Amino acid sequence: MRSSHRLAFLFLLPSLIFVGLFAFYPIFESFRLSFYRSILTLPWLGQKMVGWENYTDLWTDPVAAQSLRTTVFFVVTTIPLELGIGLGMALVMNEVFRGRGLLRAIVLIPWAIPTVVSSQMWRFIFNDRYGLFNFVLFGGDASRYLAPLADPILAPLTIIVAEVWKTAPFVALIVLAGLQTIPDELYEAASIDGATVWQQFRHVTLPLIRPALLLALLFRTIDALRVFDLVFVMTQGGPADATNVLSFYGYKKIFAEGMVGYGSAIAVGVFLVSLILSLVYLQILKSSRLERTPR
Amino acid sequence: MRKLFRSIALLFLLSPGYSPAAETPLRFVTWKSETAQMWDQPIADFEKQNPGLKIIREIGPQSSTQLHDLITQKLKNRDTEMDVFVMDVIWPAEFASAGWALPLDRFFALAEQKQFLDAPILANRYRGQIFGVPLFVDAGLLYYRKDLLEKYRIPPPRTWPELVQAAKTILAQEKDPQLVGFSGQFKQYEGLICNMMEYILSNGGNLWDDQKLVSTLNQPAALAAVRFVRDHIIGEIAHRGVLAYEEPESLVLFTEGKAIFHRNWPYAWSVANDSRSSKIAGKIGMMPLPFFPGGKGAAALGGWQLAISRFSKKSELAWRFVSFMTSHAMQKRVTLSTGRAPARAALYTDREVLDQLPQLGSLWETFKQAVPRPTTPVYVPLSNIMQRYFSSVLALPDTNIDKRAALAARDMDRVLDLVREAPAP
Repeated sequence: MRSSHRLAFLFLLPSLIFVGLFAFYPIFESFRLSFYRSILTLPWLGQKMVGWENYTDLWTDPVAAQSLRTTVFFVVTTIPLELGIGLGMALVMNEVFRGRGLLRAIVLIPWAIPTVVSSQMWRFIFNDRYGLFNFVLFGGDASRYLAPLADPILAPLTIIVAEVWKTAPFVALIVLAGLQTIPDELYEAASIDGATVWQQFRHVTLPLIRPALLLALLFRTIDALRVFDLVFVMTQGGPADATNVLSFYGYKKIFAEGMVGYGSAIAVGVFLVSLILSLVYLQILKSSRLERTPR
Repeated sequence: MRKLFRSIALLFLLSPGYSPAAETPLRFVTWKSETAQMWDQPIADFEKQNPGLKIIREIGPQSSTQLHDLITQKLKNRDTEMDVFVMDVIWPAEFASAGWALPLDRFFALAEQKQFLDAPILANRYRGQIFGVPLFVDAGLLYYRKDLLEKYRIPPPRTWPELVQAAKTILAQEKDPQLVGFSGQFKQYEGLICNMMEYILSNGGNLWDDQKLVSTLNQPAALAAVRFVRDHIIGEIAHRGVLAYEEPESLVLFTEGKAIFHRNWPYAWSVANDSRSSKIAGKIGMMPLPFFPGGKGAAALGGWQLAISRFSKKSELAWRFVSFMTSHAMQKRVTLSTGRAPARAALYTDREVLDQLPQLGSLWETFKQAVPRPTTPVYVPLSNIMQRYFSSVLALPDTNIDKRAALAARDMDRVLDLVREAPAP
């Protein structure tokens, strides 16, 4: 017994080292740096321990506050859309019909395209002069063309559209996996009892895919909180900071401005928010009465 | 991660059967050029003249901001692989202060520096030392549709209000819904600083005071210039789409014949006059940027330099490459084949150059007066604050300019305070 434990530990060791090196070390390092004033372009200032100063600055930084609002807006708008559309897609793909395999493959394409590529595509679509968006809306009437990427209200919406387009298939994939675990007998029994399609969905399907939905919710929330690449390619945070999400703000602080301490504080902030949300979700998942794994 | 890849690559290289080349590699990080004459041919020539040296070229992003991230990333990691890199005109102070760029004084004598235009040499100096050799210069210019101005007998505008008036007159009579009066670069990025500083400086204002280290964005001259752009250019003679435009998008609008006036760098001249890519070839004029009544024209200085990494182990060889690329003969050749404006002063009076590129003669005055963005190691944070301010007041027409300017100035002063503590060199 003991020797098998040791063997198990040996087998685990490589991945432990890997995770420690590439996950825990950087997180720890970000924490440490967030307590220093460290500005790369001003080396004579040295690395000075400043305690909570970066965090108190962050708390009163109006740009960070706006950035947080932008990020939260992004999260709360994209996630319901992704879950709704993803669920719809999954329900369709779960039916038996000709060409289902092909459809399943096609639906996954947006998820498979690298985000930098698809964001570039969306940037072209939303271009104010030759973009497809304006053409579909107004045809050749150039005088009515909108400039979504140049408008502080529309620009965040373009990012949301691009994100939903890309990740709804991911949600669909997870929900589809959940749908396939539901045995047909339940539906048979329900229809014998006289349940309508809606009642079947409401009382059989939905409760049984709840764990899958929660899982999708968890993944999507964490991912949406850290949104970066869409903003990087499509708007660079503009116009008027309207798409300056937290990850992009932190990136600019560290990588462009060389403000390592302050940027790390932003990164830690994003990390803590996603950590807390994940813990909450995991708790819900656990207490979900349909997760029948008490052992 | 890169280290990991590198060690894996190294393992392969060290495995038996691999015979090392006799060539010494020099790694050169730069942006991509559409024409082979820019890098390919000069590098081939250099290798021919210097047997045993091999230039490994690493292509970075074309956007200056993104290239900055790549190069600084290498420098932060003290990458010994990179020897030579291109440097935007706003980077030298930052790279010098951080100890990333090698001071070139022992290679680049004062007498030799005098052969170059003053403004880019100034931009490469930091605390009495020189950190880069200018390769090309850029300066903001005004392009206009000569045919349209002639059609309505309007002389090229000398001041900004004249430009607005001219654009409005032509727009009213052309009645083309696709035509706009002006296109420039107003996206929230570095180009926004260049565009806005041209308005502010040509009204007698400035971005910040380089001596007192305080922001001057909330001074009346700067405020008035910004207000002018918001009230008379954006959404008036320029459509609001320019708020998402960098150089390429704004130039396409012009070359498609959809803009009357256009602000861009010198490269736009050859693009707009190339009938394969432009619908207005031969119909355009180029002139110094307008100014406000009582002010004088100010073009933002741009351009590229070559610098050597402080962490390169081959600085002597690297210098051989830098001096070759910036030599008189090579700059002349690249100028003739690409049309880019050289950094060496003598080429602006060179017969052969002027015969082929007559526009360079008229650019000379603009280049001599081009204003570099102030040199400081905290340029990037200052730029981000100013980008935020400019983009906000232009994109949100209801914002209070005075209030926003005061906030931006306060943030800038905080950043400038950091360099106040700088020790004497």
